[in-house]
Amino acid sequence: MSSRWANDDPETEAIVAEQKRVKEQKKRAKAEKQRLEEAKKAQARDANANGELGPPTKRRRLSNDPDAHSDDAELLKIEKEQKSQSTLLRFPVGEWGPCRHVDNFERLNHIEEGSYGWVSRARDISTGEIVALKKLKLENSPDGFPVTGLREIQTLLEARHQNVVYLREVVMGNKMDDVFLVMDFHEHDLKALLDEMREPFLPSEIKTVLLQVIGGLEFLHSQWIMHRDLKTSNLLMNNRGELKIADFGMARYFGDPPPKLTQLVVTLWYRAPELLLGADKYGTEIDMWSIGCIFGELLTKEPLLQGKNEVDQVSKIFALTGPPNSETWPGFRLLPNAKSLRFPSTSAPSSAGNPPLLPRSRFPYLTNAGLSLMSGLLALNPASRPTAKQCLDHKYFKEDPRPKPREMFPTFPSKAGMEKRRRHHTPEAPKRGQEAPELDFAGVFGGAPGGDTGEVGAGFSLRLG
Amino acid sequence: MAPNSLKHLSNALATPDQLSNSSSSIDNVPSDLETSIRCAGAQLTQAAGVLLHLSQDIIAQAVVIFTRFWLGADGGSLRIYSVKDVSAAALYLTAKLSFQPTSPRSVLNVYTFLLSQDASPLWFVKQGGAPETPPSPETYILSEGGYQSARLVLLRTETSILRTLGFDTHVALPHTIALTYLQTLGVVKPAVARRVIQHLNAALLSPQLLYVTHQPNALAVAAIYLASREEEVKLVDGEWWEVFDVDREELGFLVVGMKSTEGFMRAEVIRWKNKAIPMVVDGVDVEIERRRMMEEGE
Repeated sequence: MSSRWANDDPETEAIVAEQKRVKEQKKRAKAEKQRLEEAKKAQARDANANGELGPPTKRRRLSNDPDAHSDDAELLKIEKEQKSQSTLLRFPVGEWGPCRHVDNFERLNHIEEGSYGWVSRARDISTGEIVALKKLKLENSPDGFPVTGLREIQTLLEARHQNVVYLREVVMGNKMDDVFLVMDFHEHDLKALLDEMREPFLPSEIKTVLLQVIGGLEFLHSQWIMHRDLKTSNLLMNNRGELKIADFGMARYFGDPPPKLTQLVVTLWYRAPELLLGADKYGTEIDMWSIGCIFGELLTKEPLLQGKNEVDQVSKIFALTGPPNSETWPGFRLLPNAKSLRFPSTSAPSSAGNPPLLPRSRFPYLTNAGLSLMSGLLALNPASRPTAKQCLDHKYFKEDPRPKPREMFPTFPSKAGMEKRRRHHTPEAPKRGQEAPELDFAGVFGGAPGGDTGEVGAGFSLRLG
Repeated sequence: MAPNSLKHLSNALATPDQLSNSSSSIDNVPSDLETSIRCAGAQLTQAAGVLLHLSQDIIAQAVVIFTRFWLGADGGSLRIYSVKDVSAAALYLTAKLSFQPTSPRSVLNVYTFLLSQDASPLWFVKQGGAPETPPSPETYILSEGGYQSARLVLLRTETSILRTLGFDTHVALPHTIALTYLQTLGVVKPAVARRVIQHLNAALLSPQLLYVTHQPNALAVAAIYLASREEEVKLVDGEWWEVFDVDREELGFLVVGMKSTEGFMRAEVIRWKNKAIPMVVDGVDVEIERRRMMEEGE
């Protein structure tokens, strides 16, 4: 059936075809012209950009100009140059400029006070965008600008990743020591979110959250950055299901071989056993331990290992994992604080496998794959913990239920958005410059100082505060 | 992802505006004087870094930060900041961020020695360089009172540098890149590698400000080109520099720039034969006043 608009007359058909052909030709010519113009424009733009910038990269081209008469030759030349240029990689060219003044921002409301500064929600007056403004604490710095603040800025500026909070700029106030970081604003932090929720996240949601944290961390580690203070209150979330790692106040670059570092890092509840035992050489494995603690917290909404002090923390860790032995953690005896450890005589070799699996009773709803990931992350021996990259490939993330798509992630009312946030119950990250405490772990397995054995049961934990 | 992974290999570069205007020129510092002082300041930074036992990558980063500080209308002016203070603060700041931090006292001791009229080994501070017989220690020792006030200046200048650079302290260096390129090109002669490093370190002092106008890969390629010529090592045929993303134009410019540094330095030594290059604000003022009087006298 032909349409009633179809024309049967062959003559008109021929005319129509002819018109079509002409139109097509015109269109092609126009496209050609446009392409030419665009190429010219691009060339002019390039010349503008590079011409003044010291290297006269376009000089050769200019000297060729006289022999390029026809448009065709011009086009050919441009095409050729584009081809030859495309083999060269152009580096992203950054610029530097002085800090703007903080008066460019209107402060809206206070969000929280962390150990490294005050954070408030603010509006960029020129663009109207909502940002988070973090004031760095600079008092008591006999050595000038605190190296922690410098590292925070340096690492944030270089760690551009979808799962790392975006540092827009650094602004200053009237005084020399008024320094503010301007960052993207996010509605939630994971800690506040977990506090507010009635039910823990679904397994699929836990995977979405974990994959993003580990993805961001994998990037940081690949850029030689250790975070050193991962915890749920330092993980920000927005209402689009996106997670960002924040608070780089403890972050620093590391090297290979690792330099001597302070053991006073990471908030107590998320601190790896080798740090607690006083290691001054450690690596990215300490971040992986924190991930294990965060994993546990996502499952139950409660921090996994809530020690009252260093000694109590170690005893809580060993209560969960079983005490270390020279098989599961070769060399742990050599760590400075390990000398005072006294193990109960009954300490039987724990379950098979290296690292040994954690007791299933602590995580009743976790699949076998999930438990194996958790056991790897919370392996006492740092060498047994998986790297961030290995975690991403773990079968836990491949099995059902699959990670929930970010856009399907539930949304929550924002605490940071309008009202002052409650102070968290999480202890603070250790202060820089503190003396590393001389720890006596004699009482780790019950009895003497610090250890509160009543709390160390399976299946439940008391909440502090 | 691509721009991210390239950050370690690339630098922020000066804009045309920053290259054509400087805060010092707005304050009536003649541009030749500005260039002389800036180059002397870079040498001062290098010398101080060596005395502090800092590794060359820290020193080189400090020189680049020092150089960036003076550029542009928003940069520092030689009539407000003493070049010696900025040099010391740049070195202190860079070391602080590295694996080899150093103390304000060490930095200030070294600078007191290097700027001593009696003891300094630097030609632009003391004519003839290091004295034959060691001078008495009083001439180059920092008093406790002097230390306290110098420390305040050091820390204040550190913050000024950070504010002027918008806290961007990232500096990628061409040295390690050059070694990788040499391996890629199959050059095994140590003399070439040594010469490459020498060219790269000399380029830190270049009046053409090569480190703030070109990316490290281009600096590395130019140094390799020059070094292999000088050591008469034949490289592969063809336009090998394109493999390292440098075009012929840029290479040519950099080769000329690097080769001219030595001549520039020799000319400087002759030009400043009878007087010291001013390292403090007062000295700059005196020099500008002297030039004005000379002009009026004519």
